[in-house]
Parts: sequence; structure tokens; C-alpha cells
Amino acid sequence: MIEFIVSLLQASIRAGTPLLYATLGEMITEKSGILNLGVEGLMIMGAMSGFALSFITGNPWIGILAGGFAGLILAFIHGFFSITLKVDQTVSGLMLVLLGLGLSGLIGKSYIGMVANYIDPIAIPLLSSLPILGKILFTQDLLVYSSLLITVFIWFILHKTSFGLSIIAAGENPEAADTAGINVDLVRYICLLVGGFLIGVGGAYLSLAYAKLWTEGMTAGRGWICLALVIFSGWIPQRAVIGAYLFGGLDVLSFKLQAIGFTIPYQLLKMIPYIATILVLLLSLIKDKHRLKAPSALGKPYFRGER
Amino acid sequence: MRIERREEISKIVLYSLPFLSILASLIFVGILLWFVGVNPIEAYYIMLIRTFGSKLGLSELFVKSTPLILTGLAVAIPMRAGLWNIGAEGQLYMGAFIASFVALNFASPFAIPIMFVLAAIFGAAWAFIPAILKAKFELNEIISTLLLNYVAIYWVEYLVYGPMRGKNVYNFPYSDLFPECATLPRFFDTRLHLGVIIAFLIVFIMYLTFRKTSFGFSVNVVGANPRAAEYAGIDRKKIIVYTMLIGGAIAGIAGMEEISGIHHRLRAAISPGYGYAGIPISLLAKGNILAIILSAMLFGFLYVGGSALQTTYSIPIAVVYIFQSLVVLFIIGGEFFVRYRVVR
Repeated sequence: MIEFIVSLLQASIRAGTPLLYATLGEMITEKSGILNLGVEGLMIMGAMSGFALSFITGNPWIGILAGGFAGLILAFIHGFFSITLKVDQTVSGLMLVLLGLGLSGLIGKSYIGMVANYIDPIAIPLLSSLPILGKILFTQDLLVYSSLLITVFIWFILHKTSFGLSIIAAGENPEAADTAGINVDLVRYICLLVGGFLIGVGGAYLSLAYAKLWTEGMTAGRGWICLALVIFSGWIPQRAVIGAYLFGGLDVLSFKLQAIGFTIPYQLLKMIPYIATILVLLLSLIKDKHRLKAPSALGKPYFRGER
Repeated sequence: MRIERREEISKIVLYSLPFLSILASLIFVGILLWFVGVNPIEAYYIMLIRTFGSKLGLSELFVKSTPLILTGLAVAIPMRAGLWNIGAEGQLYMGAFIASFVALNFASPFAIPIMFVLAAIFGAAWAFIPAILKAKFELNEIISTLLLNYVAIYWVEYLVYGPMRGKNVYNFPYSDLFPECATLPRFFDTRLHLGVIIAFLIVFIMYLTFRKTSFGFSVNVVGANPRAAEYAGIDRKKIIVYTMLIGGAIAGIAGMEEISGIHHRLRAAISPGYGYAGIPISLLAKGNILAIILSAMLFGFLYVGGSALQTTYSIPIAVVYIFQSLVVLFIIGGEFFVRYRVVR
């Protein structure tokens, strides 16, 4: 039983890591006031580009970087529409999902069924030999460790630096931020692009470390779950870790339960994360205090002066 | 550098924008095709000839446009009230599920009308969940409608691998074939079925509803200005629920028509993203209900041409998604430059 729980928790962290990257990426984007609904499209492009570049170069780390840049490029398109042209952020975000699914399907077709070099776990000396915790926490890969560092780093930037203050100002009250001499558009672009990069890395993690393969549409709605996780975590980076690992756990639960001989049909188990996401969103809204933490100017284009 | 509103908006440019956007998207997709080693001119020639070059192609254009007209409406009607129904795909699957259930268990001369009604009810019920969550708790309908798609698709997959798998299907994930009384009649030795006419009929009914009734008026007010609606005594929550129910019902009918008109059995992967295509279709039509026919036909052409490309070059049908998203992005980008100009 303990063995089952240990392997479940270990796998939950691995399955939760792509969600964590994407949730953090979307969170800093939203903190600056931009709603990027295209997470699913950015992730799938990250997954495809990452796999392709690892396949071509033989280096999975180049793949991870490529995934990040794929996310960044799509995020830039969103920025052009939502920040520069100030058009409806919902439309442009939704179209990025379609664009990402289409492009990854077309370009990625030749990589289906291929084998690339993957990101391997690293056992941290000493710590990994701890009983139970060692296996769960310290036999993961570098990207798992770095995702936790990035979480702390984002918290630090947001709450301990003046740039973080600018981000929050741009997301809460862009007029006031502008008056205080903050370049709202620039801050939003930076957050959107950095966020897009992280979302893309999350996608690349999916194909290069978690699933270890590329298939069309492999993100399977994870991008949308991440959008919900941002709300669930109340725009607080540390809470995103909990949410991501929780949903990582739900993701692997179906495999793990089948492995120990549960007979619930696979397709019904696969529904759990989606239903759970809606329930979790509902709980966050009923508790109400989370809703207040949404950046006030989220999703609203900022027009400088009259136009 | 700043942006200012143009004093005069060129009407000609504004109206030709959709066509220019389609053209730009074709060029862009052409470059992509060339990039993956396909001659774009040859590819577009194949798309045209396979669609418009034969009776079969033309009939397929209507066959593929039919679910698109319906999913376009399923998105457009809630959109008129300012809601995003990203769940037409799932609502379609729920309609297909109940229609199949009726077809396989209650064969009778009344099977078809019962299938229509129940498909509409199940599609509407599936849309009711996000609608009520939106109305009661302001739960974001984009996320909830989308997530429910996966649940509906896995539900149908579960059924065809499990309880509804047929006896004579050699272990394929299909149900048995429907009895003849549960399939929509076909015309001209093609796959053109009665559902095509019904889809056009539904467009017409919706057009009248939104043109002539006070309900249609209320929806438009809620969509255009929720605060004005409140002053006018219009119950916004009711409108949210009603428009989503109508949208869901129409998407459910799309599922019934696909299953009863085309596949004649329940199976996984009934729809190559018809529900998602409803979003750009509705955006392209700008919520104008009659214009949905035109924009659905354009996308129907893409699906017919896209499957021709699939068989000729084994290009995934996903290429249609690229085109869909580009058209909308070009239009919203283009509109900006029609209405505003950049001044130095």
C-alpha cells in the first residue's frame, strides 16, 4: 500500500509539472491584466516543437527551449492583437488554440511514432535515499526542481521588487500605473512573453519528460485546466503548486488504479480531471474571497488617453 | 506614435474585409503547405475540383456544411447575449448518444421525430450545466463548456467500447447499424440527407425568432448592454440560460443528424471538430444568423477540400483549424486598421 502511494505521489508530481509551468505562465500574464485563453494552443505547440527539436538535434534541452520559444511566438501574436491593437482578448486567445492545434497537427505529423531523446530523472545524492520522501521528491528530473525554484522566483518578483509592483499596477489599475510613469503596454508584453515561454516549456515537458512521445492533440485540455488552476490558486504562485500536483494526481490515478486491478472503465476514469476542474472552480467561486483576487483590469484593453 | 480613430471609415474596405481575409489566409496556408512539401497551387486545385467538379463533391459540400451551420448557430445564439459557447462539440456528442440509444432500442415509425426531440433535449441539458453555473455563480462559461466536451466525448467512447458496442462489429468500437426506420432518408444517390433541409429550416426559424419576437429583442439588449437590459427589466440570468439551452439543443440536433444521416451507428470521433468550428463560423458571420449559412458553407468547403488533401497528401485535417483561426485573426486585425490609424 505504501509503495502504491509513493509511486502515485511521485507520478503525480511528474504529471503535475507541465500543469505547474503553464499555470505559472498564465498567472503572470493575468497578473499584468492580459487574459491569454490560448494556453492549450501554446502548450500543444510547445509539445510539438520540443519533440521535433529534440528529435532533430538529439538534445532534449534544446527541445525544451524550442518549446518555450514556440509558446513565446504564439504569445507575441496574442500581444500584437490584445496589447498593440487592443482588440477582444477572448477572440484572439481562442483563435490561438485553433492555430496551435492546427499548426502542431500539420508540422508534427512526421514526428508521430518517432523516438527522441528525453529528459531523464536525476536522483539527488543523499536526499534521494531518504525513506519515502526521497523517492517522491528527490528522484525527479531537473525541470521538476526548477519549476519549484521558478515558483519562488515569481513570488519574489511579484511581491519584493519594484517591477513586480509595476506588474500588479498594470493588472489592477492601468490608468494609475500610467500616471505613475509605468509603461503599461511594455510591462504587459514582458509578462505575456515570459508567460508564453513558461507555457511552452510546460508543453515541451509533456512530450519530452512525461509522455515521452508526440501525438496530435496530446495536451487533451490541459491548457484549459491550467486556466482554471490560476483561478483556483487565487493568483498566488505557491498555491499553483498544490493545484498542479493535485490535478497531476488525478491524471495518473486512472493508470495507477488500472495497474492494481481496478475494473472501472478507462474512459470513465479519464473524465475525472475535467469534472474535478469544474467542481474546483465552483468551490473557489462559492468561497468568494478568491474572486476578489482576480486582477481588476484582467482582460480589459488599456487605452492610453482618449481614442 | 499613437493610434487615432479615423474620421471616415471606408465602407468598401470594411465590406471587402472578409474576402481579403480569406485570401490572405489562403496565401498563408499555401506557404505552410509548401513548407511541408506540398505544392500549394496543386493542393488548392484539388480542393476546388473535388468540391465543385462533380455531383458527389457538391453534395458533400452540403453534407459537411450541415453540422457546421448548426454548430455555428449553437455558438452564435449565446454569443448574441454575450456568452461564449465553446461546448457545441460536447453537446453534439450528447445528442448523438441519445439518438443512437433510441435508434437501437426503440425502432418504430416514430423513431426519427423522437430522436430529434431527445437529441435537442440532451444537447440542451448538457448546455444547461454551464448556463446555470454562469447564471448562479458567474462561473466562466468558456472554461466550463470546453471541459464538458471532453466528458461527453469520453462518455461516447465508453459506450462504444462497452455497453453499446454492437454484436456484429468484429470488435471495432462501433454500435450495431441502426434499423432503416431510424436513418434519415437520402437523396440523389448521394449522402445528402433530410437533415440538410432541416438545418436550413432551423436557420430560418432562428432568424425569425431574433427578428420578430420580444425574446430576440431582449437577447440583443443583454448582449449589447447588460446594464441597459437591467434598467429595461430584462432578467439577464434567464437570458443566459435560455440562449445556452437553444444553442445546446441545436448542437444536439447536429449530433443526431450526423449519426442518423451519415454514420448510421454510434462510434467514437463522430465529429472532426465541428463544434469548435462553430466559433470562427459565428465570428465570421458577426452574429448575423443568415450569414451563418455563408460562413458555414465556406468552412464546409474547407472540410471537403481538407479531406481531399488528407487522402491525396495525407495532410491531417487539422490544417482546417489553421485556416479557421487565420481568417478570424486577419479580420479582427484588418478591422482595426479600417477604423483606426497610426499617427506619428
